[in-house]
Amino acid sequence: MYYIIEDTINGILMGSIYGLTAMGLTIIFGVLKVVNFAHGSMLMVGMYLAYWAVTLSGMHPYLAIVLVAPAMFLFGYTLQNFVIKPIFIAEKNVREPLTVIIVTTGIWYILDNLTLLIFGPQYRSLADNPLNGQMLEIGEMFISVPKLYGCITAVITALGVYWFFQKTDMGRAIRATSMDREAASLMGINQYKIYNVAFGIGAATAGIAAVTLVPFYNVFPTVGVLFDIKGFIIVVLGGLGSIGGALAGGIIIGIIESVGPQFMTATWTEAIVYGLFLVVLFVKPSGLFGQKHDW
Amino acid sequence: MNYKNINKVALVAILLIAFGLPLVIRSATYLHILVLLFFYAYLTTSWNLVGGFAGVLPLGHAAFVGIGAYTSTILFLQYGISPWIGMLVGGVLATIAGILIGLPTFKMRGAYFALATIAFAEGFRVIVENIDYIGPFKINGPRGLQIPPLDIGLANFMFASKEPYYYIILIMLVAVVVLTYVISRSKLGYYLNAGGEEPEAAMALGVNVARAKLIAMAMSSFLTAMAGTFYAQFTLYIHPKSIISLDLSFEIAFIALIGGRGSIAGPILGALLLRPVGDFSRIYFGDTLPGMHLIIFGLVLILVMHYQPRGLQEPLTRLYNNLIRRITHNTTGR
Repeated sequence: MYYIIEDTINGILMGSIYGLTAMGLTIIFGVLKVVNFAHGSMLMVGMYLAYWAVTLSGMHPYLAIVLVAPAMFLFGYTLQNFVIKPIFIAEKNVREPLTVIIVTTGIWYILDNLTLLIFGPQYRSLADNPLNGQMLEIGEMFISVPKLYGCITAVITALGVYWFFQKTDMGRAIRATSMDREAASLMGINQYKIYNVAFGIGAATAGIAAVTLVPFYNVFPTVGVLFDIKGFIIVVLGGLGSIGGALAGGIIIGIIESVGPQFMTATWTEAIVYGLFLVVLFVKPSGLFGQKHDW
Repeated sequence: MNYKNINKVALVAILLIAFGLPLVIRSATYLHILVLLFFYAYLTTSWNLVGGFAGVLPLGHAAFVGIGAYTSTILFLQYGISPWIGMLVGGVLATIAGILIGLPTFKMRGAYFALATIAFAEGFRVIVENIDYIGPFKINGPRGLQIPPLDIGLANFMFASKEPYYYIILIMLVAVVVLTYVISRSKLGYYLNAGGEEPEAAMALGVNVARAKLIAMAMSSFLTAMAGTFYAQFTLYIHPKSIISLDLSFEIAFIALIGGRGSIAGPILGALLLRPVGDFSRIYFGDTLPGMHLIIFGLVLILVMHYQPRGLQEPLTRLYNNLIRRITHNTTGR
């Protein structure tokens, strides 16, 4: 019986990290109404940043957050401002311009393959970081320490983003824009600047997720694709646009992935995840915590 | 000569060149590349029926390619049924799958439809990869299926040379282009167009947008599955990673988008322009600069969406029309 509990706990921990990787996706969708196909690639960029920061300076992996999160915010802000914004301006009257999805896919191709070009296809990992392979022993159960740290970071980040959206002026402006672009513009909110900031925050959360992943996960150019597809599933499960939903969706996936192999071949859990995704999409497309008007 | 006649002459000339090419090009390698070029043009044109005219973004068409390829191959290998019949059976199965995905998702907004099609295609790939047998049918999991080239001949859809494949895919391409033309001039085409641009307004005018999209999806998935059978017979080897991959789904959609969605010539132009760029940069940069062709692809994608969101067919059509106007002016004018 112990191993089921152990798997469930480890599933929850890994799942909340999944949720953290998808949080930016849901924030960006909530405000821009666009699925950012380049989100996994932004996560990958964050992972390379964190990897090199830790490798070159030898600092504690979690200390890299101070560097990676702001850098990723700037990266996302600039990307949205120079590459995506012009499309939005060109297609002003469309609520969910599909052209933006296409452009983010172009960004995905460029980022992934530029990384391949610069750093090569090899897998890199922080082998001698203080968190690597650390286990917490509770009774007969073993809990992964880097995943525990990741889970705590995910919860803190979710609370921080929630606080920012609820309590600050910028957060209120972002929420107003996400509810009604025209009305927000009429109130003097610069819609496109809000998009930049929202995209920056989304990228910054991807950066934080990257820092939590690097201590125990390999870094390679296409690592983002794994989290991309998973991220789509997570945000639809939780409800596109909902921050708490992203965490919940991530935890559901994490539990399926870690408990599932007790009952079936590990590769089958993937099929179950896709099946669950389609069922939710068909039965309750607004997801577990999403708002109805968003689909 | 007036404007319309020149268009007709140009069309006949293109067809003559296309059908005559194998008489000039004898190299099997070049014919192979041309066959794949037409294969992609066929896929993007089929995709365009739903992705272009219906104004949604399906990103899982590789699943239909896979259904077509696996159905005809299994029927041929296990029961000796001709792939020509298998092609139609695969088409019907893909149509059923297409309708099953379309029914619940067409009511949703664009992003959800795109994600649902991705999830469907990926889920289908995972299942194929994990199954050796469905009932009596041997799927062979990740190892894929191989067709032994024993009984060569038209009835078995297997040939020793590339020419027959060239003509088959060319005829398929011409047929699907004609079908697209007919649909774009039909009531269904107008419904799709209206539903894609302004669904609310179209519905207010009594157009059943969801039904029109569903018909487009059914046709598109049927035609795409036929291409799957063609691919299986052309390469005689299929496996899930190559034929049901997300990469293929994305490539179909984005080539069509760069060419120009919702137009007849756009998807073909996209394939004719982009496939060679990809092939050549892979050949020349493949070793020294890995991934270069995808960087170029991504850049083209972003630039086209910035400057020509309706695709490359728009400026090219303008260029063509100007050219024709000049020619007619010179011959009929002073």
